[in-house]
Amino acid sequence: MALGTAIESEVELDLRADRPWVCVVWDDPVNLMSYVTHVFMVLFGYSKEKATELMLKVHNEGRATVTSGTREEMERDVQRLHEYGLWATVQRDDEF
Amino acid sequence: MSFKAMSTFKSLDDGSISITFTSQEAHVLINLTEQLVELLSEGDGQSHQVDPLLHLVGISNADSLPEDPVLRRLLPNAYADEKSAGEFRRYTEHGLREKKKAHALAIYEALLPQDEEWTGDTPLEKGFLTVTFPSTQSLEWLGGLNDLRLALAVRLGIGTNLGESKGAEKEEEPSNAESLHKKYELMVDSDPMKAVYSVYSWIGWLQQSLLEALTN
Repeated sequence: MALGTAIESEVELDLRADRPWVCVVWDDPVNLMSYVTHVFMVLFGYSKEKATELMLKVHNEGRATVTSGTREEMERDVQRLHEYGLWATVQRDDEF
Repeated sequence: MSFKAMSTFKSLDDGSISITFTSQEAHVLINLTEQLVELLSEGDGQSHQVDPLLHLVGISNADSLPEDPVLRRLLPNAYADEKSAGEFRRYTEHGLREKKKAHALAIYEALLPQDEEWTGDTPLEKGFLTVTFPSTQSLEWLGGLNDLRLALAVRLGIGTNLGESKGAEKEEEPSNAESLHKKYELMVDSDPMKAVYSVYSWIGWLQQSLLEALTN
């Protein structure tokens, strides 16, 4: 029984590991809309259109998922966003 | 304090960025960036006893949000749950402080007069100061200016309840630029917060000017 439980939780862990992680940017009334758009373009190589769309989502809905990938990649993205004063967090894709 | 003759960033033919500040403007930026660098050095990895070996490789013992409200704003949690946020902070907070210091120092060093006699306590002698930097450095300037705005915003109470309350309380705060502007316009000139707000808006204006210079 103990063995069975162990195998089961291992499988569950693997499935969870496959799920992508996301980097979420939260609205901050201080940051200029043009600045937020610029940061998205420079850090993630997004087009002006895509960066503007994400910025507007943050502004209107309070938050937006800006990148997705492995946990390590998302942590790196959050760190870079914090470096430029945007408020961002890492979470699993299914937490919304 | 008012900034009637406001300087703007310009893109030069060789791709570099240039701006001419009045001595008053340069003085304000020098003092603010200096204070920011000092603040970012405060309590770095020293919330508990520092392990010198860990400090050497950039790992700190800091595993919770800083006490100082400005530092809390500049070094936010990277995870909603405190355990993951604390673990991430131990490995990254020191590096984040260093990056932010570098951004503030880029501005500070560009503006600092070469005159060694100058101590920072008196206004600059020269009426104007022209600063030129490669456009590759503009992101440091933008980030540094943004951190100054965030720091001043804490004093002004703008967005200070981020992540701490959701919904009802947030509505009471004048979050859009127009209502904020009205609030501070109505203040008497002697109110120190009015001066803080005027610096806050000016730095936003500078940031916007730099962004426009970069796209032109």
